[in-house]
Amino acid sequence: MGDALVEASESNREPSRTRRFSVNAALDGFFFVFAGVASVWLAWLVLTESFGFGWWGIAFFVVFWLVLAYLVLPRLHRILTTIYVPDYFIGRARTSDGLLGDPVNLAIDGPEASVHAAMLAAGWTRADDITLASTWRIVTGTVTRKSYDEAPVSPLFLFGRQQDFAYQQEVAGNPAKRHHVRFWRTPDGWLLPGGRRVDWLAAGTFDRAVGFSLFTLQITHKIDADTDVERDHIVATVLAANPRAHVHVLADFATGYHSRNGGGDSIRTDGDLPVIDVTDVPAPALAVTRGGDS
Amino acid sequence: MSGEKRAAFEPPAELVRPVEAPPDMKRPVSTSAGAVLVVMRVIAGIVWLIALAAQWDQVLADDGGIDPASTEGEAARAILVVILAFGAVVLLVQVLLAFAVYRGSNAARMALMILATLSIVVSWLDYFAGEEITIRTTLVTLALDILVLLALSSRAARAYARRSRTKRGRR
Repeated sequence: MGDALVEASESNREPSRTRRFSVNAALDGFFFVFAGVASVWLAWLVLTESFGFGWWGIAFFVVFWLVLAYLVLPRLHRILTTIYVPDYFIGRARTSDGLLGDPVNLAIDGPEASVHAAMLAAGWTRADDITLASTWRIVTGTVTRKSYDEAPVSPLFLFGRQQDFAYQQEVAGNPAKRHHVRFWRTPDGWLLPGGRRVDWLAAGTFDRAVGFSLFTLQITHKIDADTDVERDHIVATVLAANPRAHVHVLADFATGYHSRNGGGDSIRTDGDLPVIDVTDVPAPALAVTRGGDS
Repeated sequence: MSGEKRAAFEPPAELVRPVEAPPDMKRPVSTSAGAVLVVMRVIAGIVWLIALAAQWDQVLADDGGIDPASTEGEAARAILVVILAFGAVVLLVQVLLAFAVYRGSNAARMALMILATLSIVVSWLDYFAGEEITIRTTLVTLALDILVLLALSSRAARAYARRSRTKRGRR
């Protein structure tokens, strides 16, 4: 199967970009959709199976729910949202299924090292990446009730990219509740609506409980609806710990709105966007802290 | 900016857009899961072949109406050997492909997805021809085929297999 590039003839809908795709990519698209359709069929087969086994049918029903919530719906969401959710900046991150996720409610100016230094100084812990090892640690940590401060956060997407890094704060003794904030580096030369240039965008929300999402039918963290409280908490902790950081608020950046995140939780905000400038925060502290990481 | 009006929806061609991934991308869970599922599918296939061999006489009598002791039955034994040999080769190839997928080969990923798709389509045709698919018949192998396809067609698995390699040469 060659990697021969084929010019898409129907691409003149977007004259500014020449769209090229390979035979491989077209096959990939086909398999992506076909697997989605096949998984619907699988869910149906498992569901019909659950009628025939008496009490064992309950086990099949659980399998049906797992297949539906974690395989079928994510794939269908991914296919449909690719088509109907706008793929430009609308102040919201997107989940890995393409649904609208947490609101972008914070911006940062400054180099990456300074962002890390400011967050660590403010008492935040950097979240691990999701790997098999960290997933296993969550499972064992839940069973043995050992706290896992660096537990990874779920991926959210902005500019088509997963967050570059995330920070979190545990709430004493409660693994279901935590502060967390995800950071994305903005593309070079990218301006906020209104024309201001910022180096980083961030989405901070507070997980208040673990619960069942009626949107995705998955078990997820429920976030606190008042995202402004979390945003102001992040700003306050960073400013308190870093005397050389200062903040400039873009008032009414997003008009106040009520909406839902990707898990179906309500969110509301007054629409202000604080821009924290950490350019002058000394970064060397970072090397020491990160050096201890495995 | 051109004067042409932008469509009210994102172009479905986005599904076809190649995913770009850095060369140092770590192996995603879906790639490992896909490889493991293929191995499980192969194990299910081995069980199926053994079951077929063990019940061959009964299969002959029920489906073909052939007495295993007759000369036709003896000839059918040769067919069983051919089926077993062919099945073994296919399963061996799948194991090798699973290993190649785990290593990051895109061609192996494509080949496995084509195999899974063909297997699913065959089950589909059987299903609509009236054959029941339950846990006692082919539900497990079909489920594994669909899970393999889901895992290997995911965006993460695609990005990993199609990532640009700078240090290691393409296989």
